[in-house]
Amino acid sequence: MSLSSLLETFEQLAPMLAGGFVTTLQVTVSSLIIAMVLGILVCLMHISHKRVLRGIAKFYIWIIRGTPMLVQAFYIYFAVPQLIQLSTGSSFRIDVFTASLITLSLNAGAYLSEIFRGSIESVDKGQMEASRSLGVSYATSMRKIILPQAVRICLPSLVNQCIITLKDSTILYAIGLGEIMYQAKIYVGRTMESFATYTWVAICFLLITSVLMLISRTVEKRMHA
Amino acid sequence: MANPKIKVVGLKKAFGDLEVLKGIDLEISSGEVVCIIGPSGSGKSTFLRCLNRLEEPTAGEIFVDGESITSNGADVDRVRRHLGMVFQQFNLFPHYTVKQNLMFAPVELKLKTPVEAEKTAIRLLDRVGLGDKVDAKPRELSGGQQQRVAIARALAMEPDIMLFDEPTSALDPEMVSEVLDVMRELAEEGMTMVIVTHEMGFAHDVADRVIFIDDGVIVEQGTPEQVMDHPQSVRTKSFLSKVL
Repeated sequence: MSLSSLLETFEQLAPMLAGGFVTTLQVTVSSLIIAMVLGILVCLMHISHKRVLRGIAKFYIWIIRGTPMLVQAFYIYFAVPQLIQLSTGSSFRIDVFTASLITLSLNAGAYLSEIFRGSIESVDKGQMEASRSLGVSYATSMRKIILPQAVRICLPSLVNQCIITLKDSTILYAIGLGEIMYQAKIYVGRTMESFATYTWVAICFLLITSVLMLISRTVEKRMHA
Repeated sequence: MANPKIKVVGLKKAFGDLEVLKGIDLEISSGEVVCIIGPSGSGKSTFLRCLNRLEEPTAGEIFVDGESITSNGADVDRVRRHLGMVFQQFNLFPHYTVKQNLMFAPVELKLKTPVEAEKTAIRLLDRVGLGDKVDAKPRELSGGQQQRVAIARALAMEPDIMLFDEPTSALDPEMVSEVLDVMRELAEEGMTMVIVTHEMGFAHDVADRVIFIDDGVIVEQGTPEQVMDHPQSVRTKSFLSKVL
């Protein structure tokens, strides 16, 4: 296996890889946006004083953290539609992109909510006390004093979760999402070029994750400056 | 006392099974400077934190200007505007400049416009000797400077009572006096002050009344001369012999 054969494979592989990559990015970016909103909501539920809300948040996080993402994907793509079909009697199907989006969003949402909660709780307790002792309400203190500090604390973990979600999206090839791994497998099935193909897949991921890591490091440096 | 500024009746506070305050009764009049001394773990900080309800009392009542602040309907946020609080660890807001630390609450609570609040902030910072630091971030300041900003921040709400929770305990020795000087000036201007402190010399100089708390009760109180120079209780004598 020589460098020239690697490059040769790339020429034929590139269009498929590019198509897969677009899908990978689409599902990752949309999921992360949904997960961000979901994560904030679940985090607020988790730190609220209402028992029921705390219970719901804990249950959700328990399920997601305690099961493999592959099982979650199969559950949403195959199991839930069957459940709906059985209970309503009419046929129900979910398209593979939607199922992938739901899986990845639910998954990242749970982890992000824990990242947000950890960041809020790591802000010095004295900050809330100082703000409250000035006569400022809990909600305003949270918004103006605690959250701006929590955001800075959570940024590195947030970028890290983006990287994890991007990589985890490859699992969705198992339910047939046409992302990069799925395209690569098809190409290998046709040409038997395992080494060259998977090398290029790995390089593609390394490129993006490296950029993200670089952003993370710059942000971290600016925070400590 | 005809119209006490602060009146505390039967105040108790427990954390789980641990009873920290075992029934405190106290009246503080307007303009009085009260220093609370006592061994660590005696409940003196907890007592101070009950006065603006950073801690919820387990039992008892607290009145400020004759109004109960411990009843169910009491508006805690409104009460706290009259009670400035200074913490051992300063607790300045690190994402704001010094000036913004002072402007935050008055502007947020719509008591002042940003322009008015800024004027007040600069005047107060001048007064605590930090007129040249208005645009600095808290972390660029020394401990003593940070604590002076914290005092100015509390004053920006124009409180009529100031609570100090061991304000010099986290400071390097050479910075203690700059903070005590600011507090001394406040006392001379007639501010009602409740100060939990380990600075015995300061308490002796500035306090109208010294209160010795041990094991969750007031053991002894009176003028500094009475309590610190001629203590009656064995516990007060033993404490003073260790710290003086």
